[in-house]
Amino acid sequence: MKELEPIVFVIDDDRMVREGLQSLIKSVGLRVETFASAQDFLVAKRPDTPACLILDVRMPGLNGLELQRKLSEANAHIPIIFITGHGDIPMSVRAMKEGAQEFLTKPVRGQDLLDAVQKAIADDRVLRKERAELSEIRARFDSLTPREKEVLDLVVAGLLNKQIADELGASELTIKTHRAHVMEKTHAESLAHLVRMAERLKAALRK
Amino acid sequence: MPATHAAPSNWRTLTRYAFAIAMVALALFLSLVLGVSFGNPFWLFFPVAVIASTWFGGKGPGWVAVGFSTLVVLYYFIPPARSWNVKPRDIPFFLTFVACQVVASSLIAWRRETEDSLRRARDELEVRVAERTAELTSANEALLNQIAVQRRTEEALQIARTELARVARITTIGELTASIAHEVNQPLAAVVANADACVAWLSHQTPNLVEARAAAERTTQGATRASEVIVRIRSLINKATPEKAQVQINEVIRETAALAEGQASRNAVSLTMELQPDLPVVLGDRIQLQQVILNLVMNGIEAMTSITDQRKQLVITSRLESAEQVLVSVLDGGIGIRADLMPRLFEPFFTTRSQGMGMGLPISRSIIESHGGKLWAESKASQGSIFQFTLPCAGGPVA
Repeated sequence: MKELEPIVFVIDDDRMVREGLQSLIKSVGLRVETFASAQDFLVAKRPDTPACLILDVRMPGLNGLELQRKLSEANAHIPIIFITGHGDIPMSVRAMKEGAQEFLTKPVRGQDLLDAVQKAIADDRVLRKERAELSEIRARFDSLTPREKEVLDLVVAGLLNKQIADELGASELTIKTHRAHVMEKTHAESLAHLVRMAERLKAALRK
Repeated sequence: MPATHAAPSNWRTLTRYAFAIAMVALALFLSLVLGVSFGNPFWLFFPVAVIASTWFGGKGPGWVAVGFSTLVVLYYFIPPARSWNVKPRDIPFFLTFVACQVVASSLIAWRRETEDSLRRARDELEVRVAERTAELTSANEALLNQIAVQRRTEEALQIARTELARVARITTIGELTASIAHEVNQPLAAVVANADACVAWLSHQTPNLVEARAAAERTTQGATRASEVIVRIRSLINKATPEKAQVQINEVIRETAALAEGQASRNAVSLTMELQPDLPVVLGDRIQLQQVILNLVMNGIEAMTSITDQRKQLVITSRLESAEQVLVSVLDGGIGIRADLMPRLFEPFFTTRSQGMGMGLPISRSIIESHGGKLWAESKASQGSIFQFTLPCAGGPVA
């Protein structure tokens, strides 16, 4: 799979700050897109690629923390680096609790920001990969028939074919066939792999 | 206690009647004794007895004396003596005697009553005067108490007001500072980001001069904007065009001294003014000039807070400095200013006080300068300081 080109979004109501950050990030060869307000960012089309968001906390209209909440409500996963003029502690605690990547105070040292950006993109890459894998697994598991799902649950629970047959009131041969289908449809390489995938899915659903 | 009160009063009445009877008896005795050598002198003594009884005993005993003496005279002296009979020729004499007795007793009783009522009136008046005096005294005391309470309240109020003003000043300055911080920080953020970008573009293997130049230009713009913010703040403080009018500086000084009076007396500082009369008017913003003088006076008072061994005195002086300008000075006998701190006195945010903002003197100086004057300080350690400023006269040079 080809590595997607990452992108950095900058939202700041101050044009000069925006341009400065844009130039700074561009200078290390990253793609940048800037927005003057949170609203502009929300309506813009975002390419499906590893990304991070540099966000001014204090902005007219929708402020940084509100945008963070909106994005998390919309299930839009993107690491956020907050920048604030007044590094006030309660605000940064709130932002970090809501899953902010970083909280930097203005004026930000260029290197600090670039480091944070690089780390955010690397993290996002990993998370995206995980999310992609997970959705792949989910798609595979969703393709199972209800009967196959019952068999899957019992297999994962550690039951032998015979026990499953007793449990579901079917012949051992039928169960064997279902089981083979499950392994095939989920691309499981071994029983252990199947169990791992099922656990991962369960864990993701619990979240 | 009415019982114990009534007893002596009954006794007194009884005594009065007994006195009347005793007087008549005495008159009878004298008349009988002297009758031996004088013939019939009864008409001499009985009127005296009646008069005395009425005078000392009052109306009742008077009538008793009249009645008793009439009977006695009728029995003992009207012939035939020692009998109740009267000879017809003696009837006019006897009736005249009785009439005289009645008239004497009435006159005396009337006189006596008048005098009594006068005395009663006087006594009553005295009592009433005493009562009124007592009432007035207590009213006066209540009033004094009220005044004391009011004075205390006023003082508390004044303290609260001063405190409020201080808090308001701090809050305003605090807000101002936060707003300045944000206003200045924003362009600074741009400056830092652009400068970092510029360096980054230049650090490439083949430096990207176009990008570096653009970033450098934006750096300059950011710095310019930051300095514009400063200019704006300064002009805000200067209030660019003060509301200038013709102002009598002595009036402004007096008003300000009145404002500072409370603070001064609380700190046991005596405020004196040595104002040159007939100073020419100056052109200025009354409120701003008040602010400057008040600031200098308050500083002076604060400078003397630690002085305990001598009288604390603050002197405000005004005089014509030259043909074109008046000079106002505020002299305190405080701790003075250390020589090494003198150059920093008018720097913003420089203060030696724990609660000071360090904005008073710089703002004062900028106000005076916007009026075309000068503000400066001189000080000797432990001998107090003098702050003075000049203001140009409104009508130009005075002859």
